[in-house]
Amino acid sequence: MASLVEPTDDVLVSATVAGDEGAFEQLFERHRRQVARIGGRFFSQREQIEEIIQDTFTKAYFALNSYHGTHAASFKAWLTQIAVNCCYDHLRRARRRPEQGLGDIEESEAHEFSAQLRSPPVDVETRLVSRDLAAKLLARLSEEDRLVLTLLDVEGFSVAEIAEATNWSISKVKVRAHRARANLRRVLQRYL
Amino acid sequence: MFKANSQNNEDLDRAGRVVLKSAAADAETVEAAATAPFLFTRVRAAIKEERERREESTSWLSLIFVARRAVPVMAIVAILAAVLTVWSVGLNLSASPSQNDEEALFGPAEPGVEQTVLARGNGLSREEVFNIVVDRNYGVNAK
Repeated sequence: MASLVEPTDDVLVSATVAGDEGAFEQLFERHRRQVARIGGRFFSQREQIEEIIQDTFTKAYFALNSYHGTHAASFKAWLTQIAVNCCYDHLRRARRRPEQGLGDIEESEAHEFSAQLRSPPVDVETRLVSRDLAAKLLARLSEEDRLVLTLLDVEGFSVAEIAEATNWSISKVKVRAHRARANLRRVLQRYL
Repeated sequence: MFKANSQNNEDLDRAGRVVLKSAAADAETVEAAATAPFLFTRVRAAIKEERERREESTSWLSLIFVARRAVPVMAIVAILAAVLTVWSVGLNLSASPSQNDEEALFGPAEPGVEQTVLARGNGLSREEVFNIVVDRNYGVNAK
């Protein structure tokens, strides 16, 4: 009778390193949604998220030799680290491309956003601004600021988790987060 | 005033969170990306491409490594060749003093009948050779 127990991530990693392509496909099937979710925090276009998934699994494949799982969630944490780095690289690349310039915020957008900021806090929490406007506002932040704020406020990572994912020290994450928040306040200040 | 400032910062932070959440993709887009057809095929193709690129760069690296080892050997060979050349020139200079004597006597070699005659080394001076030529021409004209 065939075993119904799913092989662990570490077993699949060992099989992939030994040359089993099917094992890597199983790892891909198991974790692609997690990687897509991380990509989706930074990028809104489907094609961009697909690129993040592709790059993350390609990098992971070549780094499998350096993976040493210690607990059940190790592979997921390790893959998250690679995915976060991929998102960071893509943010940097997007900034370098002049054709990706998002342009200025139109007067109507600024007016609408300003009204939203002045509305009661409960409403502001529940209402979202347009994706286009949000992208234009966030384009005024550096990639590091965007990365640390997204991981803290949207993904809900702790400072320690961000430090692990970015290979930064905990104090660097704290300083970065503080500065990033100040920079975002400065960007939003003019609409208040 | 401090309280007002703190309230202002709180409002801005809340607005900032809204902006960050708004910039993210919605759940449908994320799901569509995760379940895109042929996504694993694309990953496999990217892995193959990366592997080829790495192999190519590895072969270039090995070539550079071989070249790095060959450069000192080639330098030694070049130095040996230069030393041998200088040594053989020195040997030739000391081995043929008569040629130098002829040069000292007759000047540097120039093409021509007279030089050929002189080069035979019969001990004739330039004037004697000139006289022989003049006499020969005179004889021809006299005939």
